[in-house]
Amino acid sequence: MSLADVQITLASSALIAHLTGEVDMSNAEEVGATVIGATPNEAQGVILDLSGVDYLDSAGIYVIYGMRASLRARGQSLILVVPPGSPVHGALRLAGAERPGEVAEAVDDALRVFDERPLPGS
Amino acid sequence: MAGVPAQRHDRPRPSPGAGHVVLVPAEPSAERAVERRSSYRLTDPRLSELPLEDLLNELLVRVQEALAVDTVAILLLDVESQQLVARAAKGIEEEVERGVRIPLGLGFAGRIAAERVPIFIADVDHADVLNPILREKGIASLLGVPVIVEGELIGVLHVGSLRPRTFGQDDLAVLQIAAARAAPAIERASLFARLEHEHGVSMVLQRSLLPKRLADVVGVTVAARYLPAREEVGGDWYDVIELPRGRVGVVIGDVVGHGIAAAALMGRLRTALHSYAIEGHGPGRTLELVDRFVHSLNESAMATAAYAVFDTYTSVLQYATAGHLPPIVISDSDARELEVTPAPPLGAFPYGRCPEHELSLGRSEMLLLYTDGLVERRGVELSAGIDALAAAVCGARTPEDACAFAVRELVPAEGLLDDVAIVSLQNAPVPAELHMTLPAEPKTLAQVRRALRRWLNDRGADEGEVAEMTIALSEACANAIEHAYSPSPARFEVHGRARDGEITLTVRDGGRWRAPRGQGRGRGLSIIVAAMDDVQIDRTAEGTEVVMRRRLALK
Repeated sequence: MSLADVQITLASSALIAHLTGEVDMSNAEEVGATVIGATPNEAQGVILDLSGVDYLDSAGIYVIYGMRASLRARGQSLILVVPPGSPVHGALRLAGAERPGEVAEAVDDALRVFDERPLPGS
Repeated sequence: MAGVPAQRHDRPRPSPGAGHVVLVPAEPSAERAVERRSSYRLTDPRLSELPLEDLLNELLVRVQEALAVDTVAILLLDVESQQLVARAAKGIEEEVERGVRIPLGLGFAGRIAAERVPIFIADVDHADVLNPILREKGIASLLGVPVIVEGELIGVLHVGSLRPRTFGQDDLAVLQIAAARAAPAIERASLFARLEHEHGVSMVLQRSLLPKRLADVVGVTVAARYLPAREEVGGDWYDVIELPRGRVGVVIGDVVGHGIAAAALMGRLRTALHSYAIEGHGPGRTLELVDRFVHSLNESAMATAAYAVFDTYTSVLQYATAGHLPPIVISDSDARELEVTPAPPLGAFPYGRCPEHELSLGRSEMLLLYTDGLVERRGVELSAGIDALAAAVCGARTPEDACAFAVRELVPAEGLLDDVAIVSLQNAPVPAELHMTLPAEPKTLAQVRRALRRWLNDRGADEGEVAEMTIALSEACANAIEHAYSPSPARFEVHGRARDGEITLTVRDGGRWRAPRGQGRGRGLSIIVAAMDDVQIDRTAEGTEVVMRRRLALK
């Protein structure tokens, strides 16, 4: 059984990556690289949906920071979807990183942020 | 036809090919002469008792003796490819070794087969001969006859001479007698060989479609058996499927029918069920989806199956059946048949429903799934067979026991009429203290977390406590794995102890604790500190020990 799965969909303004399963040092880097590799240049950014993640630890948090940095270098941004009370919410709280950048409670909220944002160059 | 000695033609025939002479079968008088000369040896009834290879070899030896020829070979028709395949040879063993195949209608043997006539070639060098081996061997003259049984051509028998020789009517008669007498035996033997082959193929197929090894899931012990029927393989299968969130699926199934077709369908159903299961569907819905899959095949296929999902954290067992026999639960004191809601077999009716049941499987209790071949006996009621199985497995302490007891008590000494699959899963006992020694590899982290969650549940920790201590322990283990430098396969140890409502988790390794590096790496330690009441890191020359304590709320 693979520990985690990434399902990627493209919305008009952003790439949505639904992550499920468990993320630890055995798979965090691959998961991050998969999402970054799938992100087209035209997208304003990435919505990383962590609501289906059962486990995430410092290795995962580290990779999220890395993803944010590589997206920023391309002029794109990252929004995490972390519902209150979810396992990832608990992990971020323990790590003292409750808001590692922009966080939304649901994918729709994150999409609204991208949709309302002016397009680059406009 | 230069160099071909004159042959007696009783009636004209079209020329079958360069250098070929079609021989017309001998008159009865000639055959009588042959009977006198060539002896009983070619018509020996015992020939037909031999297996195909032995029969062919023996026949060729006898033909070689009777006709005093240098070579003799038999090619049998492969119906599918419409080619003659060399099956046995004397003096030209290369024919068989090189797997010579002659298309029907071409060359010497091909024409004999296509036109069903004996052909004589006086001078191979100047004749239309397809098979290079005949020339390579220096064969000068050839004589061949078709082998026919009940009007069906099954092959060609031919003899050859290294020195030029004129095969006459007597020789032809001997060869024809050999072919005629051998034909039914060859047909029978090759039919038998084909059946044996099919049995062998379906056995291999069946074996290759079953799991190579059972999934190793923390919190359960599993065992399984597959026993083929005496005569034929069937379509029974079992499966153990690791699922997310500490759950494990266990499957038993039985495709209606036997042989290769049933085994092949079994493979597809096993795959289909496995695929739906890892999508996260419950047992009832999973079986319903497999039912829709069977309908979509349009093959009037049918199967019965039972599927159970066991949660290793909560010990809850959910199960559903589709036309399948009821599962059995084995506890310390007894073995009982589980209640099932009758549901149609997979593929039987459109939109079949498979209601789910749920129960709590106690520590050390076992689930046993089996197919009907184990409990069905002629003249015995099915319920009596199931009772006999329950009685047989009562007292089993492990899944391996349960399978062994079931086979020992229920499989008759003379073998099975139907194939049998058995799979058993035990809710593994949770030890009072956790102790694991693991290779220092990242992939072991998930295993540590599964074991810890189960152990903490058993100690009475609530969901939040389990989640936080799990992340703390996993972080400590990740650190042990990261600084495992030793060239030999490094290992680390995990200990868990509960005293007076306080949990103590210890991770010990043979390396040195690394100073936190980078933004993410220091976070591991702060997570541990935040998740536990007390953390001590002890670094010695032998290694690093991290001891973490937390008091449970224990409502």
